[in-house]
Amino acid sequence: MKRRTFLTAAGAAMVGMQFPIRLASAQEKVIRFAMPQDFTRVYTFVTVEYSQGQRDYISMVNAKGGVNGYQILADVTDHANDLPRALEAYERAKAQGALLVDPLSTPVARALVPRATADKINLITAFSGRSDAADGETFPFVFPMSPNYWTQAGLLIDFFRQQDGDLKGKKICFVHIDTPFGKEPIPVLEALAAKQGFTVQAFPYTPPGNDQSAIWPQVRRAKPDWVVFWGAGVGQTVALTEAIRNGIPMNRVSSSVWLSESDMDVVGRAQAAGVIKLEPCASGRSPKLIQDIIKTVIEPGKGAGDKAKVGTAYYNYGVMMAALMVEGVRKAFEKAPNGPIDGPWLNAGLTSISNFEAEGLIPPTTVTTTDHQGGGRCRIARWDGAKFAPATDWFSANQDVVWAEIKKSTDAFKASGK
Amino acid sequence: MFYRRAGIRHTSYRSERRLWPLPFDRGLVAAVVVLLLVAPLVVERLYLIGYLMPWIIWSTAALGLNFLMGGAGQIHLGYGAIIAIGAYASTHLARAGVPFEIAALGGGLASAVIGSAFGATALRVKGLYLAMATLAMQSVVDFLITHVPWISGGGQATLTVPPARFLGADLRVDLAAYYVALSVCAVVTLFVLNVGRSSFGRALAAVREKDYAAAVIGVDPFRYKLLAFWVSSFIGGVAGAVLAFCYYRAISPDQFHLDLSIQLVAMVIVGGLGSVLGPFFGAALILFAPILLNQAVGALAAAFGLGISADLRAHLPLVLYGALIMGFLLAEPLGLAKIYDNVRKYFLVWPFRHAPR
Repeated sequence: MKRRTFLTAAGAAMVGMQFPIRLASAQEKVIRFAMPQDFTRVYTFVTVEYSQGQRDYISMVNAKGGVNGYQILADVTDHANDLPRALEAYERAKAQGALLVDPLSTPVARALVPRATADKINLITAFSGRSDAADGETFPFVFPMSPNYWTQAGLLIDFFRQQDGDLKGKKICFVHIDTPFGKEPIPVLEALAAKQGFTVQAFPYTPPGNDQSAIWPQVRRAKPDWVVFWGAGVGQTVALTEAIRNGIPMNRVSSSVWLSESDMDVVGRAQAAGVIKLEPCASGRSPKLIQDIIKTVIEPGKGAGDKAKVGTAYYNYGVMMAALMVEGVRKAFEKAPNGPIDGPWLNAGLTSISNFEAEGLIPPTTVTTTDHQGGGRCRIARWDGAKFAPATDWFSANQDVVWAEIKKSTDAFKASGK
Repeated sequence: MFYRRAGIRHTSYRSERRLWPLPFDRGLVAAVVVLLLVAPLVVERLYLIGYLMPWIIWSTAALGLNFLMGGAGQIHLGYGAIIAIGAYASTHLARAGVPFEIAALGGGLASAVIGSAFGATALRVKGLYLAMATLAMQSVVDFLITHVPWISGGGQATLTVPPARFLGADLRVDLAAYYVALSVCAVVTLFVLNVGRSSFGRALAAVREKDYAAAVIGVDPFRYKLLAFWVSSFIGGVAGAVLAFCYYRAISPDQFHLDLSIQLVAMVIVGGLGSVLGPFFGAALILFAPILLNQAVGALAAAFGLGISADLRAHLPLVLYGALIMGFLLAEPLGLAKIYDNVRKYFLVWPFRHAPR
């Protein structure tokens, strides 16, 4: 009796642990993208719209017959910015044969870098993760494919220079969240300050930044020529509200890619008119790609979410990244039509994306084995009270300073882990 | 049934005080140990890396916290910082060329020293005030790690863990990492089990129940509170080293924020304060309930073609998760370990309702 109970219990436990994992086999003609993202914890301000854009674009590609007869399968789950959950999702994706993982979270992306590199799975780190992952030689399987924060800071400074003619003697206030992410642009700002003769004054606020009332009067007293505020989520709207309250002229206030229409609703659409942001891709519904999505996906009622969100800034970021991923698949088929369809196969495709514009949605983007940033192009957009209107064409600037910083950081990375 | 006591006679104190006097308990423990030992050979990699590994490491850490909270009655809301100190100290030691075996102990020692320094506040304040003091420790450690590039690893604030070996086994191999984590967990479990029946454990229990009363009967609360912090922080530090070397392999400050501390406190409370089995149950529930609920909701939505929005799809598991924790605590306020204990006691006296007493 006793021994039998043991054996039964042990046997049951063994069987229970052996849930089989269904592998997406090659015959099914499916290419699997894993998108474990943070829908519930920290990145809630962007994830819903970003993921909606990604899924709508992929639905459109699939509705038009997929790529080379292959359907794209977007596996969306929630990792809540929690590492054990994200690692579980990553291992599951790997076991299911995913070719790429897009976690849209800086902590998760940073933690996944060693694993993805070892497993040869492409890690998409758009607007997140390590900025130095732009260096494809050091991080062969990590793809930001979007302007990193150093580039974004460099572009803003160049825009100020275009506006003022010369930045000599000017003062730029940099208000940032006091985390590694917030402090990231400082070396680039300082290098450019030394080069172009302006001064930078940094004002850190404590995370998450829902109280910045002590900082902004100091910014006002500093009499800045330009203000750059750097945060994400709640910190952004609070910063903008405080800037308005302290009477800082809105047309001299700017931020990174993390500013959206819904932030403007919080701050007040009319009050925020004039504020500057960086656009990695066009916003609004006018780009041809967004129109296509509306025709083939949204109007038949197959959209992944709220119709009103189609064409918002973050929705279009999602479309941009999905378009780049699918373009990578197309290029991979061009290079090796017969596969084998795996991580390195897609890697070869992603690194041969050249002058891809997504029918006018994004700047001409070229990803190579050395440059995973994709050229570092953006445009400046101004909030006009109803929408973000482009103030410049696509441009790139100060990439020498950015790449010096990238090299410095990758050297430190190579020295660590040894 | 099962837990038969017939024929067990204790003829010495030694046999009466053994850890598992009932043969069935011993068998159960042996079966679990054997299962854990053969697990990497039979389960798929996903379950090894995605489930068993974090479960073992978080259980180790929760055991350390439970030693302090359940054993000595001192609340700690900064245990994530303790783990961070262990992880960072051991990683920096390893980067300086110290072998992992010593680096892990060094991490534990660093945590013990810093943890006891902050724990010293427990000598003056109790209860909610101590909660605030330990919360302050969490903030201070977070701030220092983030703001000293030398510790955090520069502008990207990510420190890659160097390749390390434990007694010759390469820790980058998942199998080796699993067995190292498992053996650390086993050592900590045995230690905690044994403390419970030593004079040290009884002194801690006395301090937990009432420190004045403990002082009256000759237990020095000063000494034992400090010792409890020291031991618990040491365990946390070693767990941090295991976490860094065997599981994360790249550490950054946001892995050790207040979220982790709260998660561990939840594990201890849901699992059962003061119980050794509790942290294992608590860690399993807190770590895996969100994942499994998420998959269940996703599978149900897909199977029945429910057109629920991504937002609801992501938040529904959280609602269920909250309900699950509340349900368990309402059903048995003493935690999951107590539920197991109730079942065990039921079978212990079966077919009778109560033990004769």
